[in-house]
Amino acid sequence: MLNYIVRRLLLMIPTLLGITLVVFVTMALSPGGITAQSLVDGFGMNPQEKAALQAYFNRRYGLDQPAPVQYLRWLNNVSPIGFEMREDGQLAGFSFAKGSDLGESFRYGRPVSEILAERVPITLLLNVLTIPVIYLISIMIGVRAARDRGGRFDVSSSMVMLALWSVPTMLTGVLLIGFFASDQYWHWFPTSGLSSRVAQDMPFMPHWSNLSDVLILFSAMLAGLFAALLLAGWDRPRLRAMLAGAGGAGLGVWMMHTLPGDASPVPTVILAALLGSGCYGLALTDYKVLRLGAFGFAGLCLGGILGALLSQGEFVRGFLLDRLWHLVLPIVCLAYGSFAFLARLTRSAVLENLQADYARTARAKGVPENRILWSHVFRNSLLPLITVFASLLPGLLAGSVIVESIFSIEGMGKLAVEAVKGRDRELVLSITLISGILTLLGYLLADLLYAMADPRVSYE
Amino acid sequence: MENRFGVKDLFYFAALLVVLTVLLTTMYMIDRQWNKLSEMERALSEQSGDIRHLRHSYSQLEKRIAEGTVISGGRSADNREEVQASAFDRSLTVTRRSDYAEGDWRVLAFGNSIKTITPLVSTDVYASQVQAYVLESLLTRNPESLEWEGVLASDWSVSGDGQRFVFNLRPEATFSDGQPVTAADVVFSYDFIMDERIKAPRERAYYEKIASVEALGPHQVAFQFKEPYYNSLALAGGMMILAQHFYAPYLEEPERFNQSKGLLFGSGAYRLADPKSWSPDKGLIELERNPRYWGPVQPSFDRLVWKVIENETARLTSYRNGEIDVYSAQPREYKKNLLNDQQLMARSLNHEYLAPTAGYRYIGWNESRKGEPTRFADRNIRQAMTYLIDKQRIVDEIMLGYGQPAVGPFNPQSKQHAQDLKPRGFDLEKARTLLKAAGYADKNGDGILEDSGGDVFSFELVYPQASEQYTAIVLFLKDAFAKAGIQIVPKPTEWSVMLDLLDKKDFDAIMLGWSSSLESDLYQVFHSDQRKNNGDNFIGYSNPELDKLIEKARSTVDETTRMPLWQAAERIIYEDQPYTFLTRGNSLVLIDRRMHNVEVYPTGLNIDETPVGWYVPADLQKYR
Repeated sequence: MLNYIVRRLLLMIPTLLGITLVVFVTMALSPGGITAQSLVDGFGMNPQEKAALQAYFNRRYGLDQPAPVQYLRWLNNVSPIGFEMREDGQLAGFSFAKGSDLGESFRYGRPVSEILAERVPITLLLNVLTIPVIYLISIMIGVRAARDRGGRFDVSSSMVMLALWSVPTMLTGVLLIGFFASDQYWHWFPTSGLSSRVAQDMPFMPHWSNLSDVLILFSAMLAGLFAALLLAGWDRPRLRAMLAGAGGAGLGVWMMHTLPGDASPVPTVILAALLGSGCYGLALTDYKVLRLGAFGFAGLCLGGILGALLSQGEFVRGFLLDRLWHLVLPIVCLAYGSFAFLARLTRSAVLENLQADYARTARAKGVPENRILWSHVFRNSLLPLITVFASLLPGLLAGSVIVESIFSIEGMGKLAVEAVKGRDRELVLSITLISGILTLLGYLLADLLYAMADPRVSYE
Repeated sequence: MENRFGVKDLFYFAALLVVLTVLLTTMYMIDRQWNKLSEMERALSEQSGDIRHLRHSYSQLEKRIAEGTVISGGRSADNREEVQASAFDRSLTVTRRSDYAEGDWRVLAFGNSIKTITPLVSTDVYASQVQAYVLESLLTRNPESLEWEGVLASDWSVSGDGQRFVFNLRPEATFSDGQPVTAADVVFSYDFIMDERIKAPRERAYYEKIASVEALGPHQVAFQFKEPYYNSLALAGGMMILAQHFYAPYLEEPERFNQSKGLLFGSGAYRLADPKSWSPDKGLIELERNPRYWGPVQPSFDRLVWKVIENETARLTSYRNGEIDVYSAQPREYKKNLLNDQQLMARSLNHEYLAPTAGYRYIGWNESRKGEPTRFADRNIRQAMTYLIDKQRIVDEIMLGYGQPAVGPFNPQSKQHAQDLKPRGFDLEKARTLLKAAGYADKNGDGILEDSGGDVFSFELVYPQASEQYTAIVLFLKDAFAKAGIQIVPKPTEWSVMLDLLDKKDFDAIMLGWSSSLESDLYQVFHSDQRKNNGDNFIGYSNPELDKLIEKARSTVDETTRMPLWQAAERIIYEDQPYTFLTRGNSLVLIDRRMHNVEVYPTGLNIDETPVGWYVPADLQKYR
């Protein structure tokens, strides 16, 4: 095993070299190329200023040297072992402990590592919150859809998933801002950024001015949760669905009522019908976990809102809540599109195993269906999910350009695109190098996980 | 039997995850408290410094009284008069209004993320907007009369040859930590820029005409220029004064300065709460009132905030929600959506104006390509091209009326502009005659003109891609030129590729825009010297008569003799049409109604006026 890991790690080096070489060559060959002129967007500057700036860039980044020399220079700087470079650009002795230097961004004029250190936590925060949501929901739905193959749940869930998958993120982002962050409609969420200015002067945790408010809030939330769970657990589906549908329609009417100006009848009816039928369908499904989860969440939120409305004293939301509040819309945008793919994948894997001989044997000897599903079938269906998991590791750092620029979040996605647009070679190379390393590590990890999930796989 | 992962393990993992999250958030929380604490500590130490300073001057005063010195009332009143001179007069009149009140915040939005706000290192216009509130210069232009007025300088004098300027500094001026602004700081600012290790090649080239800056006394400083230069007072008086005690340590380690994100400290009306720790990942820039501002007028706002909102929809929504106070609109959305929006208009003041710094759009005709003259080297052809373009229709249909046809390189309100010149209109007949005279005719009857050698009249028009207005104009021109038998091949180009084309002078015609300043210098764009070394005369235009006029105007310090020279130069350009000047666009701005004293001056909107420009009356104030 150890032998295998070491071999794989050593094999990563030529792959990474290839990746950086391809990126470097592409950037060098791009029209306009990477030269001092392309760095100085020299409009409105007099020629002395322009020439001075170009000479400065040439001296600082060695842009007037031939491209292969520039590449080797970069490689030497990045690799942890190599030649030491003196101040004047001459090579000193060979060293094994000179440390790796990602260089300095052309556009920012700052070390690349420092810029990355600023951006990575933001992207990490977004993805660490988003990825579990995606996996949880799509595995839940995928497994259920496989068991219910051809049934109502299977058809309707895959329809909804495909519909979500086909809506482009930029449209959703703009619509979400327009409807849920604007004074014209429902101003429930902030428009942009990761925290509001006032939150910087707030304490970290939420604060209430008197204890009774806290009690009111928590009891309201608990009451909401229990009411919703009771409703979801009621074993008369028709009545349950009617009640939930009426609740949803009521919510729609109330939402239209809160809009500035007079509520016009047609949109009110449409919104009420939409929300009502959504709740109706959700309450009608015989998938208990989903029902309980969705209703419990909705009950908790409604209870919270009720509690907030009932409380008397002053409430300071605190930095933490403010941050979470800002994260809601971006996370929704990041998450909804990925459900379809993962859910379909889970569904097909589980389906295949459900029809396998061992599942039939287990059923024949009287093992309960739930146990067959979770401890036999699901475990064997993990392999394709693990393959997808390999892309998770680089995905954690990748960030999304679209979501980040719509919500003005300074993350890695925006940084990467800006770097490419601005021909910021050191930054582009560093980002591709890092994501290359993470991708390869992800593959390695996935291969090791195969061995853990499936005893037939062995690397001895 | 191997150990299987059971439900119980799942709970263990969940518990572990919860513990880790709590640990992380706690660490973050403590870090935040620590920052807050150090902020308070800094404020306290600053205040104790102030108290020490006060006690010192008080004891000195006491000593002088004990010694029996008579402090004359008349003299101090005289001083007062002097202090209130010039640049602060306008602010003082504003503060005397009945509804004037200090307080409230002003929140603006930037459409791009900011990389650094350190002076000299930053290159974008956003950073310089922020710096203008924190740093001060010796002089500033009066936005109405355009005369120079003293800020840090109380008065100044010019030598007879116009090459030496002596400034007297105001003795009461201090930086935001209470240290006085002295002549040494002015000298230091110049030396700092000129230090080769500092990443300010652009400023170094800009101040290259200054021979030396020397301190004549603690509050007197002299600028010596190498040659007479029309803009020398602006150069000397506009230099931002950096604090020696703050910036000098960075000469020891220039890399720390060059790579810094936010080292901003000065004597201005506002300051960064912590002059060293701003970083771009915060997504906003925030200046607070400088509590030790030395000027006779205190700034009107408690805080100035700039948020970074890149998405246009989000910016408009933020303005709608009242989260930002100013929104600049594009003509199409302005006319079609915003003006009809009752709710929005009810809370906005809208301004449409032609800013003097709004540049012009043009088509540059390349006169020499690969060392050989092109067809555009003929002045008649260039004039014909201009006659073929209906500028008024571009303004009316593409810019929806928010703009005007451009006459020449100077702003129509500027004194540089010769008022009797009118934009050349659309005239198909005149263009046809000019083209015929130059030997162009449709010889084979295909509707396209050929020159005497039989080559068809067809050219590539390079323009920046991804710009809606440019694309619309190019399509309009393509149609208009086709009617006259000339083929345009549109060539939308990426920015860096375009720079490469300009450097190689490898294009037929190019559509671009130049920005303007209050007094534009023609040397950079139209002087024949600028054809060499990748200068900005990339169209290879040369006219010896114009060269002479430009040189003469540049070395004339006296304004009344200089302006006719610029006007004569403009006439030559008008005749030669090296560029076809297209349009100048209006700025369309929506401003929150709680802002008062919003004016449009010859220098544009008075958004940047310090220390007091806009203000919010007490009953309208929103932030505390």
